[in-house]
Amino acid sequence: MKNRGLRFDPRIQFAMLALPGAAFVFVFLVLPLLSIVVFSFWRTERYELIPEWNLENYRIVLTDPTYLTFLLRSLVMATVVCLASVVYAWPVAYFIAKHGGRYRLVLVLLTAAPFLTGIVLRVTALQQILGPIGLVNMALMTFGFEPIEALMYSNVASAIGLVYLWIPFMIVAIYLSLLNFDFELLEVAKVAGARPWRAFLEVTWPLNWIGTAIGIVLVFVPTFAATVTPRFLGGPNGSLFGNILEHQFGATGTWALGSAMGVVLFLVSLAFILLIGRTIDPKRTGFTGIGR
Amino acid sequence: MGDGRRTSFFLQALLLAFLYLFLYFPIFYIAFLSFVENTTWPFPPLYTLEWYSRLAIMSDFHEGLFNSLLIGLGTGALAALFATAGAMALLRYPVRRKALVALLYLGPLFVAEVLIGISTLMFNRNVLGLPGNLFSAILSNTTHALAFAFLVVLSQLVRYDWRMDDAAMVFGARPLRCFFEVTLPSIWPAVLGAFLVSFLLAFNNFEISFYNLGAVPTLPTIAWGTLRHGIEPELYALATLVNLAVFVALLLLYLLIRTGLVRIGLPED
Repeated sequence: MKNRGLRFDPRIQFAMLALPGAAFVFVFLVLPLLSIVVFSFWRTERYELIPEWNLENYRIVLTDPTYLTFLLRSLVMATVVCLASVVYAWPVAYFIAKHGGRYRLVLVLLTAAPFLTGIVLRVTALQQILGPIGLVNMALMTFGFEPIEALMYSNVASAIGLVYLWIPFMIVAIYLSLLNFDFELLEVAKVAGARPWRAFLEVTWPLNWIGTAIGIVLVFVPTFAATVTPRFLGGPNGSLFGNILEHQFGATGTWALGSAMGVVLFLVSLAFILLIGRTIDPKRTGFTGIGR
Repeated sequence: MGDGRRTSFFLQALLLAFLYLFLYFPIFYIAFLSFVENTTWPFPPLYTLEWYSRLAIMSDFHEGLFNSLLIGLGTGALAALFATAGAMALLRYPVRRKALVALLYLGPLFVAEVLIGISTLMFNRNVLGLPGNLFSAILSNTTHALAFAFLVVLSQLVRYDWRMDDAAMVFGARPLRCFFEVTLPSIWPAVLGAFLVSFLLAFNNFEISFYNLGAVPTLPTIAWGTLRHGIEPELYALATLVNLAVFVALLLLYLLIRTGLVRIGLPED
C-alpha cells in the first residue's frame, strides 16, 4: 500500500509527465548547443576539428570587417522587419479581435495557415511575384514600363520576403493578447475624455505590450538568422549573417569558425530577448497565460 | 466621432484584406503556373499537365516524399506525446519549478532553426561520431516542433475540467486507466492538433532536416536544390501539391472542431 501512496504523490506524477519531454529537449537541443560552444574555442584543420583551445575564431568574427558587415546588416534587417510587422500586424489583429465576432478563429487561422507550408515553398512562391521574371516585373515590361529594380534581388525584396514569412507570428501573438483585453476600458477612457489615439497609447498599447513583445521576439529570432530568404531574394549584396554562417558548414568546412558564428548569433538573439523581456511589466498587462 | 470610428473600421478591414491578398496571391499564382506551358508570362495561358507528369516520373521526388513523410510521422508522434504529457503536468499539479519546465518546452521557439541544424550536425558528427540520418532528423525536428505542439495542447487543455479525473480516481481508477478512459476521450482533438502541426512543421522543414541529412533528399531539400539551379516548372507542381495537402489537413481539423463532432472538456460558456 505504501507503494500505491507514492504513485499518487502529485510531485511524482508531475515528474513522470513533465520530465520525459524536458529531458528530451535537454539531450537533443541543449547539449548540441553547448557542444558548439566548446567547438567554437577549438580550431579546424583540413575539415577536421582540433581540440586546441584558442580565441582566434571570436577574434575573426568580431574584428573582420566582412563578418561585422554581415552581422550589422542582419541586425538592421531584423529590426526593420520587426518594426514593419508590428505596424502592420497591430491594426489587423485589433480588427480581428474586436470585430471578428464568431469568425475570429477562422480569420486569425487564415493568417497563420501559410506558415505551415514551409519557408522554401513560400519563398519560391514569392520569387514568382518579385523576381526578375516575376509577375510584377514581367507585367511592367509587357506594358512598356521600366522594371522596379528594388523589387528584384535586393535587400528590400528580402525584407518583404521576411515579413511575408514571419508576420503570422506577430499577428497571433498580438491577437492572443487582445483576446484577454477588456475593450470596456476604452469606453471608460472615452467617458473620461480621452481621444481614441490617446486611449490607444495609454491603455491598449501598454496593456497589450506583452503580446507585442512576444511577437517581436518571435519575428526577430528567425529573421536575424535568416538564410533561405536572403539567398533567393536578396541578390549579390543581400547576404546576411546566416548565409556566411552556413557557408562555414558547407564549402569551406571551417567548423570551429562556424561554431563561433553560431554562438555569436545565439548570444545576440538572447541579449535581444532579455532586453525586450525587461520591458514587460507583469502587473500592467491584460494577458493571462500559464498558471492562472 | 462616429465618422472617425467608421473610417478606422474600414481602414483596418482593408488592411486585413490586403494581408490575405499578400499571403495567398503568391500561393495561388504558382498553383496557376503549375498548369500552364508559358510560365514566364502566362497571358494568355496555354494549359498543360506536363509539369505534373514530369514530377510523377522524378525518382528523387518519390524518395523525398517518402523521407518527408517519415520525418513528419516520427516527429508528429513524439512531439504530440511529449506535449500532451507536459501540458497535463503543467496544468494539473500545483508544483513549484513549473516555470523551468515550461522554459524547456517553449525554449526551442527562441532558437533559430539554422542553429538547431548546425549544432545537431556538429554534436552527432564530433561527439557521438554518428552520421546524420532520418532518425536524427526526427529527433532534432521534434525539439523544434514540440514547442508548437505544447502551445496547441496547452491552449485547449486550459478549459479541461480536472475534477472528472479526480472523480475517476476516487472510484479507484489507476492513473493510466483514468487517462485512457476519462482524459483522452475528451482531449484527443487537442492531441490530434498537436500531431498535425508538428507533422506539417517537420514535413516541410528545411534548415533542421538539411543539416541532419546531407545528401538524403526530402521535399523541401529537393525544392531548395531546384530553386538554386534556376527554377523549373516541376517545382510549381510540387509546391501546389504540398500546399493543397496542408490546407486540406487544416480544413479537416477545423471542421472537426467546428461541427461539434469534437468537443474539448466543458463548453466555453
